[in-house]
Amino acid sequence: MKTEAALFKSLADETRLRILWLLMAKEELCVCDIMGVLGITQSKASRHLRYLYHLGWVNDRREGVWMNYRLSVVPGSPEEKQLKLLAEILSSRAEAQALKDRLEQWLAAKGQSKEGAASEGAAVCQCS
Amino acid sequence: MRAEARFFKSLADETRLKILWLLLAGGELCVCDIIGALGITQSKASRHLRYLFNLGWVTDRREGMLMNYRLCVPPGSPGEKQLQLLAEMFAPHPEAQALRARLHDWLGKKRQAKVKDAPEEKEGSSIEPSL
Repeated sequence: MKTEAALFKSLADETRLRILWLLMAKEELCVCDIMGVLGITQSKASRHLRYLYHLGWVNDRREGVWMNYRLSVVPGSPEEKQLKLLAEILSSRAEAQALKDRLEQWLAAKGQSKEGAASEGAAVCQCS
Repeated sequence: MRAEARFFKSLADETRLKILWLLLAGGELCVCDIIGALGITQSKASRHLRYLFNLGWVTDRREGMLMNYRLCVPPGSPGEKQLQLLAEMFAPHPEAQALRARLHDWLGKKRQAKVKDAPEEKEGSSIEPSL
């Protein structure tokens, strides 16, 4: 039952719960998205993402200098059911909804700045 | 999301998971049953049971010197759904099944000991009317 205790330990942290919640809202996110939406440092974001990676919650994909992450749980597995339950628990929380709104705003702003960067030649965000 | 992190922290411990698993099988259990089935000290058992009590997983009932515990999550609550999922995770686990077998043996031995003790109690109680 050590495995299960480790599984729950990976959920026993606010930042990791927020990251999983964001990844349930958007299929794939760059480390810079997590940093921007949660307002945390790259070192903190990367540390928690690697933790989630080692526990099998997420998969990574390198794109230039940035890492992208997405959920990697097997459909029908206990882990997937656990994520669904987590989503159910968090969906009624105002804090979680506000986080989703912030993600939407962040991604919209990123899209705009990319367009701007393309025309002005200034790279605002290094990812993709 | 602090409350949720705390919720999961209460499950992030092998001993607490084992206690919940035993309570899922055994209805109400005495601290001595947890001690007997898990082979842990009373201090460790009580500490984890109080933790589970404070988080709202279990409720207690005093019976003489000993405390009894049982699960107390409201039907349909996240806690109940989590326990169901926990039961589903553990069901195919040999370690979890062995633990249930140990609880079963323990409870069987306890019943036998009670039956053995019963006649002695009767002899003892015969003194009472004269007091």
